[in-house]
Amino acid sequence: MLSTIAAAALPILIAMLLLGGVAKLFMAGGDAEPGGLGRLGPAVLAPPRFRKAAMIGCALGELGLIGVLLLLPDHAVARWMPVAFFSVATYVLWDLRRRRPDVGCGCFGEVSAAPIGLRSIGRAAFLAGVAVVVAVESPGLAALSDWSWSTTAWLAGGLTLVLLLSTEIEESIARLRHRAPCEQRAIPAKRALSRLQSSTAWRSHAPTLMSDEPADTWRELCWRFFVFPAQDGADVVFAVYLSGRRPGVKWAIVNADGQPITPLRESMRVSA
Amino acid sequence: MTNRTVDRRRLLAAAVLGRDTEAPRLTADDGMTLDAVSGEILDVSPHLIIVEDDDGEERRMVIAPWATAWHGASLPPADLPVGARVVIRALRSGTVVDRIWANMTRMTGIILSISGKRDLTIELDCGPHRGRRSVVVPYRSSGRIRVRHPQLEAGYLFDAIGLMDAGTALAHIPATSQPPYRAKSVPPPPPAFRGVQSKISGAAAWGDFTEPGVTYPMLESADADCEDTGRSCAGLPYLAVGSMLFVRNVCDGRANALPIIGCGCIAGRFCDRCLECGTSPRGRLVELSATSYVELGGDLIKGCFNARVGLG
Repeated sequence: MLSTIAAAALPILIAMLLLGGVAKLFMAGGDAEPGGLGRLGPAVLAPPRFRKAAMIGCALGELGLIGVLLLLPDHAVARWMPVAFFSVATYVLWDLRRRRPDVGCGCFGEVSAAPIGLRSIGRAAFLAGVAVVVAVESPGLAALSDWSWSTTAWLAGGLTLVLLLSTEIEESIARLRHRAPCEQRAIPAKRALSRLQSSTAWRSHAPTLMSDEPADTWRELCWRFFVFPAQDGADVVFAVYLSGRRPGVKWAIVNADGQPITPLRESMRVSA
Repeated sequence: MTNRTVDRRRLLAAAVLGRDTEAPRLTADDGMTLDAVSGEILDVSPHLIIVEDDDGEERRMVIAPWATAWHGASLPPADLPVGARVVIRALRSGTVVDRIWANMTRMTGIILSISGKRDLTIELDCGPHRGRRSVVVPYRSSGRIRVRHPQLEAGYLFDAIGLMDAGTALAHIPATSQPPYRAKSVPPPPPAFRGVQSKISGAAAWGDFTEPGVTYPMLESADADCEDTGRSCAGLPYLAVGSMLFVRNVCDGRANALPIIGCGCIAGRFCDRCLECGTSPRGRLVELSATSYVELGGDLIKGCFNARVGLG
């Protein structure tokens, strides 16, 4: 019975350690100085110049524990290391909640910005319990060879409990649902220019343009404007919509005063 | 980038998107703007002040009986030194002086270093477009500054109002409560529900530049020629130099359409609130020139007013 539970517990531990370690490394490497204290977690207690090192150290420690779980299941001291890690994590979260109630747990980097609640602490305590089961039975890699339906049931139960205790799930769903609108997203000018150059509006005006490089370009809300000098002192202005797979491109030909010029073809009425 | 190109942008955008080329009209409901005169005092008496304004014109203005001046402290206008640079809030089409601020300067930036024991000398990074400047916090005002700037150390933001005295900037009063985070760790804006709001509320500050208009933090870095743009915790949309912004002083009920003239790279790092009338939402939206700020009814010795900003 206990060996079945331990066999189911091992993948849960490995998955949590892997996700946590990679997410922390990603966050520490992605930004020179992590913005916002919320997602730092316990690293916020370290002096500012050591915060990044603390996050990287914690991440490497978590990844190292995976190796311990898989490769050293029989080592007397090593197999209790995950238990020590999650017990200390539980205490640190409990203490952090008391000392810095504004800070998130930082367990999974950026998505763990919500202030520490009982759920985060409960998850760390649950994982400590799971680690005890694994340490007692020490299944190692061999557990994966004799897999059974009851192990799968235990795994599903454990995963459900972990998911219920994870506040990050709600945070991730909220992020997916409320993606920043295009007015607030930085979009490089080069991407807009390549979108323009693949449009039909560009192809119809390209022969009249004096240069392939825009004379002026600027961004306003969801539009990026490009001005190209054309023949006879006129300018062609393109406006590229920055959102969507096939963005709309508008254009106008203007004279030196900025007044639109109607092309001859459009100004003549077509007679029957 | 010449001024002509920037002015032309509005016309070109209007032509290509089929917008109205006219600047947005202000109605009486928007509140009338005040008159602001910026210049140098040529002569001053208890009832009359003669100023050479920034265009080089001499202006004679009557000083209202209730008018006060600020030059490090409140004082009667007649006590102002001749030759001082002043910003005047004027009434009656700019003929009657209501309030005078003399030799004002605004020191907004990231603290680079601090030296001195009694009088503190602070080296500030005022952003890629304004460079570095050195300001002095005299001992008599250091208590006032420190109480609003608890983290007076390198890497944190600094914002104070003071006087120019023989080329030295002396900090007198704090312009805001210092944000508790480091300048590089600006909190992200709140998630936007259903796109960007057409009008955004927050704080509007004034800056140390004379050209009428506003500086705005959300510019694309390629458009602003610097890497420090696009930071704001107010959920502002991206705009460009040359775009017209409709800025309303919520406290005073005055509004104006002002062009964006540059990058508010440092202003965007302030995620503070303005407490001028009620508590504004977080985030410094724009930085106005001293005259534009006074025209909208702002007081230069208060660092900000509660503002609502929209695309004009």
